[in-house]
Amino acid sequence: MDDRTHSWLRPLVAVFVGAVFFLPLYLVVVNVFKPGADIVPHPAGLPLPPTLDNISAVLSRPDNLFTFGLINSIAVTALSITILTVLSAMLGHYLARSKRVLAKVAMVTLLCGLMIPVPVILEPITGVLKTLGLMTSLQGLVLVNVGYYVPFGVLLFMGFVRSVPLELEEAAELDGASKLRVFWQVVFPLLRPASASVLIFLGVWIWNDFLTPLILLGPDSGTTVTVGVYRAIGQHQSDFGAVFAFMFLATLPILVFYLALQKNFVKGLTGGAVKG
Amino acid sequence: MRRSIVFCLVTTLAVAGCGVGEKPAATPASGGKVELSFLVFETPNLNAAFWDAAIARASAKVPGVTIKKLVTPNVDRTGYAKQLDASGHLPDILQSVNPAGFAEAGKLAAFTDDELTNFIAPKAGAVDGKIYQLPYNTQVIPVVYYNKDAFAKAGITETPKTYKDLLDVSAKLKAKNITPFVVGGGGADTWADMYPLTGTVATDVYAKTPDFLTQRKDGKVKFADADFTKAAQKVADLAKQGYIDPAGLSRSYADTEQAFRDGKGAMYPMGSWFATSADNNKPGFEIGAFPWPSDDGTPVTPTFTGGGTSVSASAPNVDLAKKWALAFDEDKENNDAFVKLDGSIPAIKGYTPPTDMGPVYQATVAIYQQGMKDNSIVNAFSQETGDGSLPPGLADKSALGVQDLITGKKSAGDFASYLDDQWAKATQ
Amino acid sequence: MTEIQHGTRGEVDPAAPRQSPSHGGSRQRGAAIRRRASARIWPKLGRFGLFALPGLVAYVVFVLIPIGMTGYYSFTNRNPFNPPTKWVGLRNYGDLLGDQEFRQALVNTVIIAVIVTVFANVGGLLIAMLLDRPTKLYVALRGIFFTPVVLSAVVISVIWQAVLTDDGLLNSLLRGLGVDHPPGWLSDPDLALYSIAWIITWQMLGFCVVVYLAGLQGVPRELQEAASIDGAGRLARFRNVTWPMLAPALTINTVMLLITGFKAYDQIQVITNGGPGTGTTSTMAFQVVQTAFNGNHIGYSSAMAAVMLVLVATVSVIVLRLLQRREVTQ
Repeated sequence: MDDRTHSWLRPLVAVFVGAVFFLPLYLVVVNVFKPGADIVPHPAGLPLPPTLDNISAVLSRPDNLFTFGLINSIAVTALSITILTVLSAMLGHYLARSKRVLAKVAMVTLLCGLMIPVPVILEPITGVLKTLGLMTSLQGLVLVNVGYYVPFGVLLFMGFVRSVPLELEEAAELDGASKLRVFWQVVFPLLRPASASVLIFLGVWIWNDFLTPLILLGPDSGTTVTVGVYRAIGQHQSDFGAVFAFMFLATLPILVFYLALQKNFVKGLTGGAVKG
Repeated sequence: MRRSIVFCLVTTLAVAGCGVGEKPAATPASGGKVELSFLVFETPNLNAAFWDAAIARASAKVPGVTIKKLVTPNVDRTGYAKQLDASGHLPDILQSVNPAGFAEAGKLAAFTDDELTNFIAPKAGAVDGKIYQLPYNTQVIPVVYYNKDAFAKAGITETPKTYKDLLDVSAKLKAKNITPFVVGGGGADTWADMYPLTGTVATDVYAKTPDFLTQRKDGKVKFADADFTKAAQKVADLAKQGYIDPAGLSRSYADTEQAFRDGKGAMYPMGSWFATSADNNKPGFEIGAFPWPSDDGTPVTPTFTGGGTSVSASAPNVDLAKKWALAFDEDKENNDAFVKLDGSIPAIKGYTPPTDMGPVYQATVAIYQQGMKDNSIVNAFSQETGDGSLPPGLADKSALGVQDLITGKKSAGDFASYLDDQWAKATQ
Repeated sequence: MTEIQHGTRGEVDPAAPRQSPSHGGSRQRGAAIRRRASARIWPKLGRFGLFALPGLVAYVVFVLIPIGMTGYYSFTNRNPFNPPTKWVGLRNYGDLLGDQEFRQALVNTVIIAVIVTVFANVGGLLIAMLLDRPTKLYVALRGIFFTPVVLSAVVISVIWQAVLTDDGLLNSLLRGLGVDHPPGWLSDPDLALYSIAWIITWQMLGFCVVVYLAGLQGVPRELQEAASIDGAGRLARFRNVTWPMLAPALTINTVMLLITGFKAYDQIQVITNGGPGTGTTSTMAFQVVQTAFNGNHIGYSSAMAAVMLVLVATVSVIVLRLLQRREVTQ
């Protein structure tokens, strides 16, 4: 009833709140397409006519900060999240099904790991990587990502596994399928929405991480786009056009990635809990 | 099945992409026998093109060296060098990294007297009498740059000669609704707020006790002693009277300079490197320069000499690395570039700056030369390196403390004892 | 020269004997899991236990061992610039007790975590209820609210710095509206911490919106209608029907927000560097990194890290317990 009488109110309020919320992002997007000289006097004005100068300046940097960073970021993110999805699905499945005390202990230990900021243990992590001979390598960074983000993957998968009926697994096993096949062909496909959430979240976090690659990759083996953003801030300082263009380009791939997977994402995140 | 194919594809794709990094900077003239890494930092003035050209010039003089350029993620190259060292990857050659800590721990190679014959101040920044960073240039810190239009508007005809004059000038500007000082230091650029204090410490502490920090190390003096507290009090008073706008504390270094250019304040106490920026990119008003005045008008010229390259003791070929570092810092064209882009005053014997330098740079160099003539050169507080400098990390702490001084959260006395506490912590 | 060698030995030594026992520990644990797994009552979990291993190993090697090393360092005076490393017992912890800066960083972290958790939860729920309609407009708005979640904290920091500095966009707007002295959002020591908390809240808001929306859509229509036929008012309907159904969403959001709040580091590093002034916006993570990398006091920073880890672990266990109990009883 209320909805009828105030039908104009809800969209109005929603659009207004959304617009205020979006304002800071709007400022970035318009200024990417504006000549540098116009940004400070008219920060909020529309870019008319729009220019691609800022974007092409970033793409054609002589030091290839963006291009190399992009390739490294894609490599690190793709490898890390693929491995993470598989490993945390397996671990999450085990922990959700097991009733043993040891599994409970492992679960609590993993959950504690969720709230540890990387910077706090970064110094000893470099020590471990040095011992393994993996310091300043992409492989080392990927492994650290895997270890550090496993708890989050496990948390999501555990919630979801509980909503998958045990009978399915048992039936498959009665048919004589090996454990590997049961997991890979029965369990894992059922966890698809959770996998989407894990891929998106960890993809976003790993892509956006800046301190870990900054320290673990060091300066020689190139850098990631997010470290590139940080570096571009120092180089250009108040040249907002250049900084915003770099930020815009560095964000675009991960945004596209999110949009591609978003349908499954909410279901996976809440699927186990909200519906179960 | 399809899933695992996709998985394989992604993995191979990713593996194939592994290890893409920056290629070593081109060094066409070298034979490329030894590869040395060189850590530089980029700013709007000292950009990638500048470093590449300067590196190529030095490499042309030292055959057998290939330089791999490494770039710091922000201007805090000393912090980054520490992080690299902590992970076992200290670069072979370092540009403008404070050697404090590195030198004492034996991580840097010392330059011999013979190697330093071309330097005007071959002992500047020495650690236990040894030089770990080439003293290639001098900076006057601070110089007070001022907006001539704003001074004229406030009816000020003469630059201040004594500290009282400076306060009078500030009062006049304030009366005309012009903020007297632009002081910044937001975000990672907290260091930018140090310059008024560097000025007052020079006039009120170092003029009397040039080796104050050495005495502090030996426990003979304290920051809480009267002289230093008075220097801090002066800064606190400037803020209290509204001569320094605390709003500056959210401005990054670049924004601070922009604020001065936009006329948001009449005086800009800054290092001498601002001179060429002012000349190269002139604001809409004329800029003048005067030294930070002392109470009775006796000249005091706080300077820092050093700031050049250092060589890691674990470089693959230390001698060659040192040779390259010397070539880099002594090269006439490199110094011309530093002068033109970064307003440095090279401390190399026989060096003369390009003749076409602008008026603000000329005025700045004149202040330095006057200081040499008056024999009024002292250290620039918090900028020192080597013996008689602040222990590692303390310069950052003092910059944060200065913010409290400006916002009034700490009194001058609190600030001084805070520094004493931090000193104790840093050296425990 | 001999001194140098001494120095590097001093750095490496404490690490070496530590790692082997911990490695051994993980092997032992792995063996234990396998042994027990093979003797299980449910045979089907036997191999799945094996599947659990790689993830656990990665976690042990790159998180638990470093935590163990941190714990060990916290009893030493480890400083790479001041070798050799010596055992100092509880001295670092004793020093922490009187360390004003660390106490402030701790308080700041808790303030940020609480503000972010409360405001993003409340704001997220309100906006989710506002957007709980299936038309295109609301779906698009949902996307807008979620965008910041996808952005890097570095990018968010740069954007908000441009908005909140004293001559920034917000204050220009306020001046245009006739406010002569708009607040120094980042330069006023009394405000800066709240500005930082706001920035993190803004970034996480969209996450809460999406999770609450999923929760709201899980509330069966029939229940709502039944309640309104019974004559329940809007508030009562929300309290008795909707809110209990949102318990799992609340758990997810609270855990995520606490994680984000306790980890706050990037924003501090980019926007305030812990200032304005000494430690006004410093968080625990920031304080640890500063002490470790700028002051080189690895021993002391490890003690800070250890305190932080214990605190964080306690909070996360308590919060999870509380929220899950609520889910079960509902």
